[in-house]
Amino acid sequence: MPRVTFQSLILTLQKFWADRGCMIETPLDIEVGAGTMHPATFLRVLGPEPWNVGYVQPSRRPADGRYGDNPFRLGKHYQFQVILKPSPLDVQDLYLDSLRALGLDLTRHDIRFEEDNWEAPTLGAWGVGWQILLDGMEITQFTYFQQAGGIDLAPMSAEITYGLERLTMFLSRQSSIFDIEWGAGFGYGPVRKQEEYEFSKYYFEVADIDLHWKLFDQYEGEAKRCLEARLVLPAYDWTLKCSHAFNTLDARGAISVTERVGVIKRVRDLAVRCAQQYLESRRELGFPLLPESERAALPQEAAR
Amino acid sequence: MAEYFFELLTEEIPAWMHEAAQKTVQERLAPTVQQLGGDPGTITVTSTPRRIVVFVPEIPERESDRQQEVKGPPKKVAFDASGAPTQALLGFLRKSNAALEDVVDTGDYVMIRRNVAGRPATEVLAERIPEIFESLRWPKMMRWGKGEYSYIRPIHSLISMYGGQHLPLSIFGVASGTSTVGHRTLAPGRIEVTSFNDYVTKLELARVVVDATRRRHVMAERARVLGMQAGGAPALDVSIWSQWQYLTEYPGIVRAEFRRDYLALPEEVLVTVMRVHQKQLPIRSADEKLTNSFLAVLDNEGDPDGNAAYGNSFVTNARFADAQFFYETDRRKPLEARLEQLAHLQFQEKLGNYLEKTRRIERIAAAICREAGEEPADALEAARLCKTDLVTEMVKEFTDLQGKIGGIYAREEGKPEIVWQAIYDHYLPVNIDDELPRNIAGAIVSLADKIDTLAGFFTIGLKPTGSRDPFALRRAGQGVVQILLNRDKRRVSIGIERLIDLALEARSAKTAAGVRGDLLSFFSERVRTLLEMSRYGFAYDEIAAAMEAGWAASLPDLVDRIEALKALRGEANFLSILDSAKRIENITAGQASTKVEASRLEHETEKRLNELADVVTAQIAELVASRHYSDALRSFAAMAPELEKFFNDVMVMVDDEALRKNRMSLLRKIGGAVSQIADVTKVVVARRDYRP
Repeated sequence: MPRVTFQSLILTLQKFWADRGCMIETPLDIEVGAGTMHPATFLRVLGPEPWNVGYVQPSRRPADGRYGDNPFRLGKHYQFQVILKPSPLDVQDLYLDSLRALGLDLTRHDIRFEEDNWEAPTLGAWGVGWQILLDGMEITQFTYFQQAGGIDLAPMSAEITYGLERLTMFLSRQSSIFDIEWGAGFGYGPVRKQEEYEFSKYYFEVADIDLHWKLFDQYEGEAKRCLEARLVLPAYDWTLKCSHAFNTLDARGAISVTERVGVIKRVRDLAVRCAQQYLESRRELGFPLLPESERAALPQEAAR
Repeated sequence: MAEYFFELLTEEIPAWMHEAAQKTVQERLAPTVQQLGGDPGTITVTSTPRRIVVFVPEIPERESDRQQEVKGPPKKVAFDASGAPTQALLGFLRKSNAALEDVVDTGDYVMIRRNVAGRPATEVLAERIPEIFESLRWPKMMRWGKGEYSYIRPIHSLISMYGGQHLPLSIFGVASGTSTVGHRTLAPGRIEVTSFNDYVTKLELARVVVDATRRRHVMAERARVLGMQAGGAPALDVSIWSQWQYLTEYPGIVRAEFRRDYLALPEEVLVTVMRVHQKQLPIRSADEKLTNSFLAVLDNEGDPDGNAAYGNSFVTNARFADAQFFYETDRRKPLEARLEQLAHLQFQEKLGNYLEKTRRIERIAAAICREAGEEPADALEAARLCKTDLVTEMVKEFTDLQGKIGGIYAREEGKPEIVWQAIYDHYLPVNIDDELPRNIAGAIVSLADKIDTLAGFFTIGLKPTGSRDPFALRRAGQGVVQILLNRDKRRVSIGIERLIDLALEARSAKTAAGVRGDLLSFFSERVRTLLEMSRYGFAYDEIAAAMEAGWAASLPDLVDRIEALKALRGEANFLSILDSAKRIENITAGQASTKVEASRLEHETEKRLNELADVVTAQIAELVASRHYSDALRSFAAMAPELEKFFNDVMVMVDDEALRKNRMSLLRKIGGAVSQIADVTKVVVARRDYRP
């Protein structure tokens, strides 16, 4: 097997999916918990427009931080996210080809697709699919999206999410994430460990609880103002800020069990409104990504 | 005669859904095979993770011809006064595709009878197979592609062959053919097949073992050999096997190891991580000790480079590293010191936190000990600590270990065996086949916990309704009944009615009207359901008859009475008991008194019956008091001839009210003699069973 680094993985996956008709997007410049929250996934899976995209997304999950002490856990990890809409029938084979492109001889490994359904209560989204196990280790989440923002989808999107650190660690036979090589001789540990430590300390011990409650309220207020002004993309940005404020408060232990449900609902209500308004705005624009022929044939109700 | 076979190729179907799906297909196909003149017993339905396969070795080429009858309009509407057919009849004939000659004379209505030629098997199958598969309701459906269809997973291809020929059909827009694909990574090419046998053989060469049972056998044999090589044997675990056989198309197994020092972790933790989280099977040595080897499935023939062994070890070590961290963190803080943290853990929004729940469990446990005459110290210590593991890191991560972790930590803190075992076991029994808590303290804490949960949820109006029971209250109720039915040294001598009262008294809020009654009827249903299950083997009418005479004071006593009925109903004189009881009940309806005035007895027969009744009822009372219920019922039966004579010789319903009432009182006295055992009139008998 060729030498595998974090960046060789990213470069190979980008090239692989670009060669198969995906647009390579860049990471979202807002804190998110997963690549799913990038508008290139959450909003683009709505409505009839086709969409094929791949991108890296740094994903921040404050509660998962371990001060850089745990060899398998990170407060911020990187995902490679692929969306294929509509989902092609050979999507599993495409995925297996991507592993071959990473240098894996699949006849000498164990690959399994085990049921694992996905649900994001803050996004009103869920899907059905598998965790993909390579030699018993989960390396990818595969989801057929069924609903986003409470809206039934059609056509359907397939989402493939590679966990980049885990995959690199496994392919380069390292026993700690911090021992993998990022690229060009730079180690992942030396590059990232300080960040893991400082953000763990911040989210668990230092973050100002009152401030984050205030921020949560203000972000929510601004998202609503944007929605009223029919500016759905800024509204969605503020929704994501809200979601991150929630995650911060949660990691800080500032949200009681009783409050939790209510706060999640506030974020979901925003996400649902964003999804609805995004769909309306795309319809008003005549679904620009649809080929001309299909745009004309589209019945008014089809995208609802 | 020719074989039919069918393959549905999809994407990986969740392992736990296969067996139910196979059964449904089998059941729905059986009538069709029957109708075609084949033997439904020969249908084979099996599956791999991504294929469902149907095979029927012999189906006749066409179904047999049959006669069909269709009812038409009334005769007086069908023919006019002159006997000529009316428009109504002609319309009916047109609609039914029949002629006037087909009409037969059958009373008030017109009927047509004609021969219907049997349809070819190909036609029936091409219609029925898609119906069966398209109508399968999977537990979690999805849509894909353009989103037109909803199914368990996207459908890729179909094979449908009758007698070696393609029998075209289509399912959700996918047309059938005569080819499939092999193993996903080992032999992904397309494969043309000519028969079922050819299909199975070619797929086997393409590294797919079609038959699920065979995959399981091969896996079991490999597991045995690999276990032996590791110096032990795989743990017996039915649930793992039924999952494993639907996780791979090739029945591979790999052995891997975890770091030996993790063996110092509690065994329950290791086993849970491997079984539940990793779907792996631990290997035990000859002395039943856990080794650091384990088995995992492998959708491959072997592991030439050790990749699968490496990967499985890697993941399991990572999981155990987490577990070890939790274990070490947890042990720095004794259970006792965790009590106050329970105040921050909500039990249920309207039912407060776990500290409050703990306090109630303690109060109820103390009261149970008082009433049942048990020494309370151990049960109370276990009650106080039983929920403290909910705030340990270990239980937060491995929630299915709740109770067990508390027990293990209590053991390590040096608590007496009876206490740590009681904590460990206090969720038991969860399922009908579960063991009961190992000791009496565990039984008492389990009762207190469950009855408190039930009383709480009923109080806030969240009792189970219909098929909805989101808080598993029926299960909790069933657990209570299972514990109270037990008679060995862990027996807790308390009735359900008292238990309910203790739980309601332990709540600070005043009990709303109706809660107590609701709980009682909830429990009477649980008792009935449980006793009807095969392990007790009682019939519903025996249970109903005995419960009519009381059940809420003592369940073992209820069982004794049911057993007496069960024993007696097979005996010839049971009919006498039943007839006597029924006659008495019918004739004395509305009469309460059992006081007989001897001076008013006129007839010789009734005088004799009264004397006999006094002797026998006293005897029965004694037998009931000493719980010799079958003997009591037999004594009752012995009165039957005299009673029979009474009904023949003496008129009860006479005009003289005093006389009538006196006779009814006499009958009441007799009838009441066994009413503490059962209402025998509720027992249903088929009289022919008693004929000599």
